[in-house]
Amino acid sequence: MSGALLEVDDLAIRIRGAEKNLVDGVSFSVNPGETLCIVGESGCGKSLTALALMGLLASPPLEIARGRALFEGRDLFAMSQAELSQFRGDRISMIFQEPMSALNPAIRIGEQIAEAVRRHRGLSRPAAEARALEMLKKVRIPAPEKRLREFPHQLSGGMRQRAMIAMALANDPALIVADEPTTALDVTIQAQILDLMRSLRDEAGTALIMITHDLGVVAEMADKVAVMYAGRVVEAGPMAEVFNDPQHPYTIGLMSSMPTFGGENSRLVTIPGMVPPIAEMPPGCRFAGRCPFRGADCAEVPPLVPVGGHEAACWRAPLERLEASA
Amino acid sequence: MSEVILEARGLERRFVTASPVFGEPTVVHAVSGVDLAVRQGETFAIVGESGCGKSTLARVLTRLIPASGGSVSYAGRDLSGLRPAEIRALRREVQFIFQDPFSSLNPRMTVGALIEEPLRTHKIGTKAERRARVAELLQRVGLPVQAATRYPHEFSGGQRQRIGIARALASGPKVVVGDEPVSALDVSIQAQVVNLLAELKEELGLTLVVIAHDLAVIRHMADRVAVMYLGEIVEQAPAHALFAAPRHPYTEALVWAIPLPDPGARRAQSRVAGELPNPTAPPSGCRFHPRCPYAIARCSAERPVLSAPDAEGRQVACHRAGELTLDGLASVQSARSDAARARFDLYRQAREAEATPD
Repeated sequence: MSGALLEVDDLAIRIRGAEKNLVDGVSFSVNPGETLCIVGESGCGKSLTALALMGLLASPPLEIARGRALFEGRDLFAMSQAELSQFRGDRISMIFQEPMSALNPAIRIGEQIAEAVRRHRGLSRPAAEARALEMLKKVRIPAPEKRLREFPHQLSGGMRQRAMIAMALANDPALIVADEPTTALDVTIQAQILDLMRSLRDEAGTALIMITHDLGVVAEMADKVAVMYAGRVVEAGPMAEVFNDPQHPYTIGLMSSMPTFGGENSRLVTIPGMVPPIAEMPPGCRFAGRCPFRGADCAEVPPLVPVGGHEAACWRAPLERLEASA
Repeated sequence: MSEVILEARGLERRFVTASPVFGEPTVVHAVSGVDLAVRQGETFAIVGESGCGKSTLARVLTRLIPASGGSVSYAGRDLSGLRPAEIRALRREVQFIFQDPFSSLNPRMTVGALIEEPLRTHKIGTKAERRARVAELLQRVGLPVQAATRYPHEFSGGQRQRIGIARALASGPKVVVGDEPVSALDVSIQAQVVNLLAELKEELGLTLVVIAHDLAVIRHMADRVAVMYLGEIVEQAPAHALFAAPRHPYTEALVWAIPLPDPGARRAQSRVAGELPNPTAPPSGCRFHPRCPYAIARCSAERPVLSAPDAEGRQVACHRAGELTLDGLASVQSARSDAARARFDLYRQAREAEATPD
C-alpha cells in the first residue's frame, strides 16, 4: 500500500545464535490516522515487535534477523542509533505500560516534557515550558500548574499515565506506539484513559499502534487488528471483521475462553495446554500442538492469506468446510 | 437457602501508616463496618478497585490478620478470641489462594514438599499416605505426578497457580478464599483455572470466596457479589441482578467502564470523574459522593447504611437508591455471521471430543 505511514515487512527477531525466531515473519501496515491493535497473550512477541520499531530491543542478546520497517519511506531498521533518536519522541513516540519506569524519577514532570520539546524543536526554555503546561491541560490533569513542578512519584498511576501521554504527544508525532497503556490501571481509570487517547488521537489525526492482551480494549480502540501467537501473526484484518467472523482456531479459542456477561455460567471452552518454549516450537504451524483441528498439513508453515473478508494463517480455514467434507 | 458458614459483623480493620512523635498518627480504615454472610456451597465475590480494602477484608475474614473491631464467625464460632492452636485448626478448614503463587511458595521446597506441608502441619496421615495424597492432588489439578520432585521456578504462571490450588486443597478445607486467583494469568490459561475451580467446588462441595477486580470473571464465577468502595460495602446482590441492574452509582460506573470484546457493544465510559480519594481522610457522608454524578446535598452530610436485604437478597448503601434508575449491561446481540457461529460450535465440539482436561 503506497499510502501507508508505516509498513513492516517480514520482521524476524531472535536471540543471537538461536535457531528459532521469537518473532517470525511479521508484516503489517498502518495508514496515517489509523489505529492498529496487536493482540496476543504473554510471549507472543507483541512487545518485542513494538520495541524493535522504536530501536529499543535489548541487543545483545536480541537481534533483528530480517525484515524492514518503512516509516515515511525510510527503513527504521537500517538507521543508526543517532538517526533513530532523531525520530524517537518526535515523529514516533511511545507510551509504556508502567509510566513509573519510563519517567525519570528525579526530574520534575514539567521539565521532562519540556526537554522532549527542546530537544526536537529547539524551543527556548520558556516556550518549552509553556508547551509542557499546554500538554498537561490537554490530557486533563487537574491543577496542571502544580503538577508541572511535581515529581513522578507524587502522581497517582492514572495521572502518571496522563503525563506520559502528554510527553508522547508534545511534538505532534505521526505515530504513537502504546504498549499495554492501561493494563496497570483500575477499570474506571482505564475507561478515562482510553477515552482521552481516543479523543486526542482523533483531534490530531495521529496513527496509533496499540499492543494489548485485552480483546475488550481492541474492540474499543482499533480500526484494524493483528492477532499474534508465538511470534507470528495468525489473523489480521479490519477489527469488526476479525471479531464477527474469526477464522483462525487460536482466535476462536481465545474468544471462547473469555467469560461473557450474557450467557449462562457454564463451563468455558478453553485452549488446552500452553505455549511451548521457543526451542520446542513445532516446525510448521506453531499453534498445531494445541489445535483441535490439526492434521498432517499443519507440519508446513501456513501463510497469511485471504479467508472471508480478511486474512488468516491456517491450512484448515475456513473451518466450516471441514464439516461439509466430514 | 443454605446455611451461613462465614459471617462478618461490623468488621473493622485499621492500619497506622505513620506515627509521628508529635501529633495524631495517620490511620487508614481499610475495612470499615462491613457486614456480610457467606452461605455454604456458594461462590461469593468481593469486587472493587485498588485500595478499596478487598484484600484486607479477605485476610481478616480468614484470620490471616486480626480484626481491629467487629467480629468474624466461622460455622457459628467467633474467631476473635481464638488461641494460636485453634487458629491452626481453623486453617485446616479455611484455606487461602494468593494472586501470585510464586511469591507465596517457598522457592527452596519441591512442589511435593509444598503440597505436603499442610498435611504435615495438621498431622494428617502417615508418610506413605501423604505421598499418595500429594500425587492424587497433583493429578486432580492437572499436573503430572513427576512435578512433585521439581521446584516452583520450573513452572509457568498457570501451573504455579495449580500448585497453589493443590496446596490449598491438601488439608481438605470447607472454605477456600482466593485473592485475585486468576488475575495474573493470560486469558486462555485463566479460562482453564476458572473451569478447574468450578469443578473442584462442585466435586468437593467447597464454599468459595473470590476477591477480584475483573468483573467478567466475577459475573461468570460468582453466585453473589459484594461491591466495595473505600473500605465499605456499597452494594450486595446476586451476580446476574447486580450486572443487569446495578443500584449503587459506583456499581454502575464499574459496569460501564468495562471494555466489552464486541465491536457492536457500547463503548466503555468513565461515568465517574477523578480518582479514589486519600483513604486516610475519606470524604464525609457517603464516601463516593465527590465522584458521584447523582450526589445531592444529603450525600455529603449523612453516611448511608447498607439496607436490609429485599426479597431478591439485594442490599445497597445509597440515599437515592429508591429514586435512581441505573443502567446495567444489556445483553448485546452479537453480529457474528452464521458461518462464524458454526465455527465456534465446531471448536467447542472438537474440544469436547478431545476431552483434554483443563
